[in-house]
Amino acid sequence: MKRSKSNRWRAGCVAALALGPVQADEFTQQDLERWNQEFMEVVREGDRLFHGGFPSKNTVSCDQCHPNASNTHPETYPKFQKQLGEVVPLWRMINWCIQNPLQSEPLAADDARMTALQAYIHWERRGVKLEPGKH
Amino acid sequence: MSTMRTLAVVVALATAVPTAAEPPLGLPPVPIPADNPQTEAKVALGDRLFHDKRFSADGKVACSTCHDREKAFTDHKPVSQGFRNLRGTRNAPTVVNAAYMKTLFWDGREPDLEGQARQPFINPVEGGLPDHEPMLDVIRKDPDYVKAFKAVFGVEPGEITIDHVVKAIAAFERTILSGNSPFDRWRYGGEEEALTEAQKRGFEVFVGKGRCVSCHVIEQTQALFTDNKFHNIGVGFKKIRGREFEVAREFIRAKRRGADVDKTVLTKPEASELGRFAVTEDITQVGAFKTPTLRNVAVTFPYMHDGSLESLEDVVDFYNNGGRLREDDPVSPFLSGGIRPLDLSDQEKKDLVAFLEALTSPEYDRIAENR
Amino acid sequence: MNRRNFLKTGLGAAVAGALPMSLVELAWGAKDSERFTFAYISDSHITQIKGNRFVRNWDRGLIRAVAECNLLDPRPDFVIYGGDIAQLGKPEEIDHGLEIMSGLRDKVHYVMGEHDYYVDLGEYWRKRLGPDWYSFDHKGVHFIVLNSILTYPEWMHRKWDSGMARMKEMARLDNPNGSPFMVGEEQRKWLARDLAKVSHDTPIVVCSHSPLQKIYKGWNFWTEDAEQIHKLLAPFEKVTVIYGHVHQIQYNQLGNISFYAVMATAWPWPYPNSYAQADSRLPKLTVPMNRADPFFERDATGWQFIDVHTGRADVHYFLPSNSNRSVVFDERRGHPVDTRYQELAARIPPQNHY
Ligand code: HEC
Ligand code: HEC
Ligand code: HEC
Ligand SMILES: [Fe+2]
Ligand SMILES: [Fe+2]
Repeated sequence: MKRSKSNRWRAGCVAALALGPVQADEFTQQDLERWNQEFMEVVREGDRLFHGGFPSKNTVSCDQCHPNASNTHPETYPKFQKQLGEVVPLWRMINWCIQNPLQSEPLAADDARMTALQAYIHWERRGVKLEPGKH
Repeated sequence: MSTMRTLAVVVALATAVPTAAEPPLGLPPVPIPADNPQTEAKVALGDRLFHDKRFSADGKVACSTCHDREKAFTDHKPVSQGFRNLRGTRNAPTVVNAAYMKTLFWDGREPDLEGQARQPFINPVEGGLPDHEPMLDVIRKDPDYVKAFKAVFGVEPGEITIDHVVKAIAAFERTILSGNSPFDRWRYGGEEEALTEAQKRGFEVFVGKGRCVSCHVIEQTQALFTDNKFHNIGVGFKKIRGREFEVAREFIRAKRRGADVDKTVLTKPEASELGRFAVTEDITQVGAFKTPTLRNVAVTFPYMHDGSLESLEDVVDFYNNGGRLREDDPVSPFLSGGIRPLDLSDQEKKDLVAFLEALTSPEYDRIAENR
Repeated sequence: MNRRNFLKTGLGAAVAGALPMSLVELAWGAKDSERFTFAYISDSHITQIKGNRFVRNWDRGLIRAVAECNLLDPRPDFVIYGGDIAQLGKPEEIDHGLEIMSGLRDKVHYVMGEHDYYVDLGEYWRKRLGPDWYSFDHKGVHFIVLNSILTYPEWMHRKWDSGMARMKEMARLDNPNGSPFMVGEEQRKWLARDLAKVSHDTPIVVCSHSPLQKIYKGWNFWTEDAEQIHKLLAPFEKVTVIYGHVHQIQYNQLGNISFYAVMATAWPWPYPNSYAQADSRLPKLTVPMNRADPFFERDATGWQFIDVHTGRADVHYFLPSNSNRSVVFDERRGHPVDTRYQELAARIPPQNHY
């Protein structure tokens, strides 16, 4: 994803050099739609993990306590969490819930499943204004 | 910044009166009540009162008998012994950092240090005095005390009351502060080498898999190691198991008839196990006790409100088994929702103990070495 | 010791928040024969992991509620269990839950929850516990227990792969493919017949699992034929509805009917208004429960002790790891109020859900 973006940027530069200032638009409507589809695909995967798809060792799943990912408050991170004793980003609290209510193994910060869970949680919270640190 | 802080602490320790403004590394400023400001003379008076054995029925018991500086302000006994060696029901918690506690005693039955200090003199298994008069008598006849009370409170001998006495003692206790442990120097002082590798791994267990941090609080800039709340973690419940209804009912009836809570819980082993319930009469708090600080815990053995656990290894086993020392012991039905089996490996258990040993302040290092 | 001696503390004790175990005699002086107490435990969601392994958290919630309830002095007249004793309605789960419940000293009346029902349409539950709708009289109050978690027959009798497949669809709270709860025509007819025998000044207490109100359909905080039930209850002077399912403190007054929700022993649910993408109708009267610290697995869970006097019910919530709450019927205002937090200025930060 990161790589393809910088490739695109480089390609754009080359094109701009070749054609002069006429070629200004970096991406098209189709690009937007496709990228959104890409994102929603990951949201769907997060939705699945959140609703019982995560290999939970005690059968408990996130949606049992967070219907529609409510009470996950992604817009408040990073923030101080007393369960962890310091200011943490969202993924650390997701791992806390994985290790405690689900009694399961935590995920690496850049695990694709962690990304998916965050995508779903943020999606259900879309439109809510950012309030880092809020309790 | 952190070296400046450390320096300030060293200076403070050298003069034996850490100021409220510059607490030791890892601790917040000490809350000082508006009606009992700190002065050096008051602290010195409190120090003397704290160590005076004449304020007891047999002339052998002072606060310092059970809160001995050489034992990090504890007595190293499972349960304390007062005048004529009478045995109470509970383990003496340390006075170190008690200044930060929002309630005092294992069940929080006193709101502040001043209120707390009234009790031991007249408790039937501690000081054993019938009331405060005999000790006030001693004070009013002692020329040094008369001078000191005059200087500190501006009172004549006849005007000295227990209120003055407990204010002085509380002021002294507000100077018994300890931070600056290897943990503090590592976490808040930026000294990477202050902890061993095992202790650092133990810290990860403490805040992670061990789930200790939610009750024994550590924060971004300070660590009191207590949440000042009450939890039933399963200690001592076997003593009233199956009889909770009767024990609670009998206690409430006696209380309605005027029985004193302080005396009842320290003399009646079963009533002692009711914990916070004895104070609030809230049935969700049966067997709940205040989270103690863990600072200097390596030198304040034995552990828990009844002194039932001898070593930190036992404590860790107790938590690892979900609130019981042995895996086949019963689990209390009233157990806090914060306690459950932890599934720690032997290595993790050892590391956790190593971390708890990193909480000893330099003042008390010696006790650990002599153990 | 007789009840009167125990119950002298007066409303003051309830207002003070900490509920003494020698309980509260409310000041409005009904005759002793008209006053009684009962306890309410609900939503334990006992979950089998495999064989004899069950989710510890949910087990401990019910174990603790039973142990605490056993400390009540004086004893409640009986206990009501508000439904969802099991998570997936398995016989193993129902049996395990009932075994824990057997530790109670008192007689229990059971209510059916959707988690008890949708695997076998309540067959095993009824085998253990008897009918899922019934009524009884106690000290001048008429109690009605409804099965309010039925739904449209087309959904119920769809071509499901298995009863468990149907159960799992209904078990998911935020399921867009779920189906709204209802009491249904058969039971409404029975209810009409049952009520026909009761005089209009007899206090009525209805125990249901779903709210008998329309709060938020997306999470089935909902009963499709609520209005029809209200109509059947309209002629009565004093009606109280107590429901489970929502795992949170709610209370409301609609006409002559006072509504109170009870807590789960398993886990708390967020209030529907904390879901940013949909509108909901949480009763305006309700002062929300405190937001939970998930570390303390019992936080924002609990059970209730209910005091019935002059035909009204006051609900005292026992909340481990939190401050107990009392929601009592206020004669003057004609609706339930929280004894401590009702006024806006009295609320505390954790009651802010967003
Ligand atoms: C047993 C119930 C339970 C389960 C299961 C559970 N959580 Fe939580 N979780 C909570 C509670 C309660 C909170 C605190 C909510 C609040 O602050 O109001 C919380 C907090 C959170 C937060 C932080 C919210 C905040 O306000 O800071 C996140 C993120 C989160 N959970 C994600 C998850 C994920 C992802 C899962 C599944 C892996 C999960 N939880 C499973 C109960 C649960
Ligand atoms: C006989 C031994 C004994 C004597 C003497 C004694 N204490 Fe204690 N102290 C204890 C015990 C035991 C407790 C715990 C009692 C309880 O919680 O019910 C305690 C508790 C305390 C606490 C509460 C600490 C906390 O974390 O809550 C303080 C402070 C304290 N004592 C100070 C004093 C002072 C001041 C004196 C003298 C006036 C004194 N003690 C005399 C044994 C003693
Ligand atoms: C649910 C809150 C809670 C958790 C979690 C918790 N503790 Fe405690 N801790 C307490 C309470 C309350 C006591 C006193 C209990 C009693 O005496 O009945 C205590 C006592 C102790 C003591 C004895 C201190 C003394 O002076 O007697 C030690 C040591 C200790 N805890 C260490 C730990 C460790 C290590 C962990 C993590 C494995 C941990 N605690 C987790 C609440 C907690
Ligand atoms: Fe439920
Ligand atoms: Fe339900």
